[in-house]
Amino acid sequence: MVDLGVATLTLEMVAESQMGLKALGAGLAVGLTGIGAGVAEMGIGSAAVGATAENKDIFGLALLLTVIPETIVIFGLVVSLLILF
Amino acid sequence: MSVVIGGPAPYVYVCTRMRVRKSKLLPREEYLRMLNMSLPQITRLIEEMEYKKEIDELASSFDGIDLVEEALSWNLAKEFQAILAITPGILKQFTKSYLRRWDIQNVLTIIRGKKQGMSAGKIKEVVVPAGSLDVLFLDRMIAEESAERSIEMLKNLPLYSVIEREYAGAVETGSFGRLENELYRQFYADLIEEARSGLKGGNQFLKSIQLDIDIRNIKTIFRLRGQPISAEETADVWIPGASFSVDELKRISQVETIDELVDTLRKKVKSPALVDALEGLREEKPIHEVENSLTRAQLDYMDRLSKRNPFSIYPILVYLEKKKYEVTNLRALARGKQANLPADRIENYLVI
Repeated sequence: MVDLGVATLTLEMVAESQMGLKALGAGLAVGLTGIGAGVAEMGIGSAAVGATAENKDIFGLALLLTVIPETIVIFGLVVSLLILF
Repeated sequence: MSVVIGGPAPYVYVCTRMRVRKSKLLPREEYLRMLNMSLPQITRLIEEMEYKKEIDELASSFDGIDLVEEALSWNLAKEFQAILAITPGILKQFTKSYLRRWDIQNVLTIIRGKKQGMSAGKIKEVVVPAGSLDVLFLDRMIAEESAERSIEMLKNLPLYSVIEREYAGAVETGSFGRLENELYRQFYADLIEEARSGLKGGNQFLKSIQLDIDIRNIKTIFRLRGQPISAEETADVWIPGASFSVDELKRISQVETIDELVDTLRKKVKSPALVDALEGLREEKPIHEVENSLTRAQLDYMDRLSKRNPFSIYPILVYLEKKKYEVTNLRALARGKQANLPADRIENYLVI
């Protein structure tokens, strides 16, 4: 009789699941930082649009301030690349 | 209407716009510079500011000081309507209720004008359509042949019940003072009720209304000082709902010495800005200076509140009030210059 209750892990299977968890971690690093940046940009963005509506000269500055939270995503991206490679 | 979609973003948007607009209002130095100018120079300066469009539009119908005055009121009305258009949800509802005070002013102007037989054109000049009644409605009201017919048009508005109740008495006595007091009392009672109805941000709205009521009552106390009026006669001029009850106000208005008056008021008033202003009133001053310093204290305090709660009703209300006083100041400046008043005398009448 064959015992189906116990599965044996081969070396390849271990390596593959490690790779899978790494990919998951990398995905979370980019995804969560993306959400964080989005939340941060919501307030800044609406204030920037409001200020630009009143005074068009500050468009450049407002745009710059709006994209500053993007740095968080870049950190996330760097971390995910470090995990993967 | 009272739900804001999109989280806090619309609040941030509109409050930032108000803040930018507030920063564009005339600074103190500019007023001081204008005090030394002649009337044509002031007119030209006003023309170069935000009021250019209105001056160009009205230039064919008015000239000189009337043009300035008309352009200022038109600009104010347009500005307030524009603000109403960009405010979201609950803030819009609050702003709309707050601007209803202009309806009271306009309706009273029309009724008074009609009763005194003023021409339609003349009434039209002094009406400022900044509230919920728009130009077309007010024009139709003015075009009606009698005051009674004009009042009939208000039937669906909250104003109507008070006007209906008080109008006969007002015509009989020939004075609309009581009607006016009743309208404002009703207006503030409605505002308080709305602010207490559990809407989000209602507490902040309530606080600013109560500050407004307190300032109004204190101004009335100072105005009544030195006049031989008994407490009973003043019963209907007080507005309840804030720091003072009507009975307290009646009692305070009978206080003889100014020191005692300031001490009694200080005990009740909470905001430090108001306490400072009251301290400054210990010596006898002309009434317009007293009112100015109280108004300044009110604006300062609201400004402070708007910084403490950056995304609330405060930035909008502060801007509405400051804009109103800018228009009043420019009008006072222009009128004062036209009457050849000395600069320091005009300065006393400015809220800067």
